[in-house]
This record gives sequence, C-alpha cells and structure tokens, in this order.
Amino acid sequence: MKTLMISAAFGAAILASPAMAQVMTPSEYVTTAGASDLYEITSSKVVLETTQNPALRDFAQTMVTQHTKSTADVKAAALKSRVKVAPPKLTPLQQELVTELRAEKGTARDAAYVAQQKAAHGQALAVQKAYATEGTAPALKTTAAAIVPVVEHHLMMLKAM
Amino acid sequence: MTLKLLVAAALIGTSGAAIAQSTTSTNAPPPPTPPRIATQPPVAASDMQMVLDQLPMLGTKPTETLTPVKARIQPSAADATHAVMRQKGLSTAPDPAVTTQDLPYGSDPMQFARIYKPAAATGAPMPVIVYYHGGGWVIADVNTYDAAPRLLSKQLNAIVVSVEYRHAPEFKFPAQHDDAFAAYRWVLQNAQSWGGDTSKIALAGESAGGNLAVATAIYARDNNLTKPVHILSVYPIANSSMDLPSRKDSANAKPLNTAMLKWFGNYYTSSMADMQDPRLNLVGANLRGLPTTTIVNAQIDPLRSDGETLAAAMKSAGDKVEQRTFPGVTHEMFGMGAVVRGAYDANQYAIGRLKATFGIRN
Repeated sequence: MKTLMISAAFGAAILASPAMAQVMTPSEYVTTAGASDLYEITSSKVVLETTQNPALRDFAQTMVTQHTKSTADVKAAALKSRVKVAPPKLTPLQQELVTELRAEKGTARDAAYVAQQKAAHGQALAVQKAYATEGTAPALKTTAAAIVPVVEHHLMMLKAM
Repeated sequence: MTLKLLVAAALIGTSGAAIAQSTTSTNAPPPPTPPRIATQPPVAASDMQMVLDQLPMLGTKPTETLTPVKARIQPSAADATHAVMRQKGLSTAPDPAVTTQDLPYGSDPMQFARIYKPAAATGAPMPVIVYYHGGGWVIADVNTYDAAPRLLSKQLNAIVVSVEYRHAPEFKFPAQHDDAFAAYRWVLQNAQSWGGDTSKIALAGESAGGNLAVATAIYARDNNLTKPVHILSVYPIANSSMDLPSRKDSANAKPLNTAMLKWFGNYYTSSMADMQDPRLNLVGANLRGLPTTTIVNAQIDPLRSDGETLAAAMKSAGDKVEQRTFPGVTHEMFGMGAVVRGAYDANQYAIGRLKATFGIRN
C-alpha cells in the first residue's frame, strides 16, 4: 500500500513534468488581469480630464471601453471556472504610476500617459499570452486567448504614437 | 525500494533541469536558487540607497524566484527612479526636447526600434548612436530603458536608435544577437533618411545591451560593414566565469544579484555550451581592431568584473579602451542621473567620451 502510494506520487510527478510550467494559478491570473485593466481604466480617465489632443482622447476612450469589457469577460469566465473574483485592486506600482500621472500637467501628462501605456501594454500582453498558452482553467484560458489580439492591437496603435 | 526511489528522484531531478533550460515557455519554473553567500555588498551612496529602497515598497519580488512572465511584470529600477523623481517634485514625463518614432526593422512585432531625435534638429547631419537595452535578454524593453537614449540624443544632438529585440525564453540565444546585427545593418541603410551621418555612428548599450554593443562591433568588423567610431558599453555581460571577484562581493547586491545571472542564463541559453560562445563570453572573443571603447561600471554590481576583465582583454588585443568604475552606485544606475550623483557623473563621463569621438566641442 505504502509502495503503491509512493509510486502514484512519483507517477503524478512524472506526468506533470513534461509541462513543468509554473503557470499562474487561475486566481493569480484573475487578480493580475483585473489590476492591469483597472490601471488602464484609471490612468486613461486621468488623461481624459486634461488632454487637448483629439487622437489621444480617442485612444484613452477606447482603452476605457475595451479594458472594461476585458474585466467583464474575465469575471464571467472566472464564474464558469468557479474561481472567486475579488474587486480589482491596483498594485503598489500601478498606484505610483497613477500618482505620477496626476502630478503632470498639460502635454507633459499626455506624454507621460503614452510612455506608461507602452510599458503597461507590453506587460499585459506577456500575462495574457502566458495564460492563453498554459492556463489551467479552460474558460479563463479561452478568455485570455481572446484578449491577446486586443492587447496586440493596442500596442500597434501605441507604436504610431 | 530505496534504490528505485533514488533512481526515480534522480530522473525527475535531471529531466526537470533539462526541460527548464530548453523550454520556450514564459511559465517555465526558475532554476534552483544557488546556495546563499553571506557576503554583504559595499554600502550604497545615500541617494542610490533611496532609489533601492523604493523597490520593496513598489512590490518588487526577488527575480530569481519567479517565472519569466512574473519577472516581466515586476517594478523595475526605472520605476523606482521615477518614484524618487516624483517624490522630489521632478517630472517623470519624457523630456520633450527629444521626439521619438517607433519603426520596424523585421517582421516579428518585437523587431522594431525607437528613433530618438532632438526636437530642435536643424537639418544638419547628426551623429548616430545605436543603443541596446538591458534586462538579461529576458525582461525589460525599450520603455524600461528610456532614460539613457533620451539623454544621449539631447546632450549629443544625435539620432539614437534604441533597438527592441526578441526576448528569451521564447527566442533563445543567439536570436538577440541576430536581431542586434540586423538592426545595425538597417540603421546603416536608413540613418541618412532620419538626418543621421553614418560616418559618425557609435554603438551603445547597458547590461545585456552592453554585451550586444561590443558583439555588434565585432560583427561589423567581420562582415566588412561600416565600422562604428565608438563603443559605449555600460556594465556589460562579458565574462562567463562564475568565479569573478564581483560575483562574490556583490552576490547580494540590488537590483542585480549573482543568483539572477544564473536565472537569466537558464532562460536565454539552450545548453551550458552556449555560455562559452564568444558572443556571450566576450573576453574569449577575437577583440582585435575594434573602435575606441568606453566601459562604464558600477561598484556594487555582480557584473563589475565583466567590464574590468573585458577592458583588460581589449587592451591586450591592442584596442583603445578606457574603463571606469563608479563608487557607491549599483547596476542600472546609468538611467538614474536625475536623482543619483554617481549616475550623473557616469552619464557625464560617457557623454564627454562620445563628444570627443564625434568632434563636438564645448
């Protein structure tokens, strides 16, 4: 019996080893994606308060709309996967970034916003791609895969800014 | 029974390690952390320490314990610098004296470059600097490393081309070197259309990018391309020995420690043999006939000995090379000139060396 249990444990270890991935847990993914969306929405609203640049205004509005949608999509998928969803919360870094944005005025705020967006979208893409490839909760994995091209499109828009 | 267990454990152990190095997954587990070394690094200057103190407050976790994707979303030294700037009432917005444009040089979305140009450019041809960012070829991007290329463009009235490249583990060594070389060829072909003068082209980079700057100069020499007139290599990865003095005295330094060097290597190499490739182990490369070179190092940095040994190897090869180690500062300091005195001094030193090469007087 003891031998059997030990073999079973090793069997599981061997079966798990081809992937060997330490993919984010469904809960980590939901928290990370939610924080990233909340940061996008919050920072975009900060720039919308002051920007005089119509193209930037359009972009920021698109960010609010599409990141609100991805939060809802992740939440729906989380329910399907029976993962608890706490209300999204900014990380300490994201809080700092928003504070930095608020400290800027006029075109400096516009420029700081674009610089922040370029960095944040690269990171968001890394998270979505990683979960879309190896995530363990099927509904969340499918949602991540659907978010990847959206973030890629945002990055393409940012390259022109 | 015991034997079987041992064999099974050994098998799992080996296959785990092999898989970790060969996988292209950004979820691949970190390599086992090396045994802790007790050595405490030299004390940082108080302005440097102020930046380092931001990292835990921003939520930075030890990179060597993370998967690549988690490491990529960690707060960076640049984030810490911005936090200090903000606290001091300085603007964190990009300096408007320099404009940027992102242009592709290849078909992968990561194969693009950010062209920095002085806003007040007059139309007279400007020197060109091809700059490669750091991050151990696994983390960080052109956004993380905005400070140095922007400063160089402004202070030298130069076109600076900051090259993004495909990252590991998705693309392993030598993908980053191949991209660096391709970008250099692309700049030679296109710099004139941006207002650049390719008879005054220099290579620059920080950390992994400091390696790429030197490796690209070697590539230019070996492929009969226009030679750069100067190499500015800031705390480069240049020596694959793990026994260097800085590997020990700065083993527990921040924001880069010795365990992280192993972590990066685990993801950017396909096998241990890669580490001996002269493109990575630059001290073992043919270094003859390279342009005038400036190597900048930080005292509190496990890569300090890389720069020092590279300078010695280049001198032996007959190159004109000058190397300086700046005291009281750490890895990543080159982007902290706005708030760290030692970093400002390093910036001014590098700018002075490039001015001399470009024939800029003042």
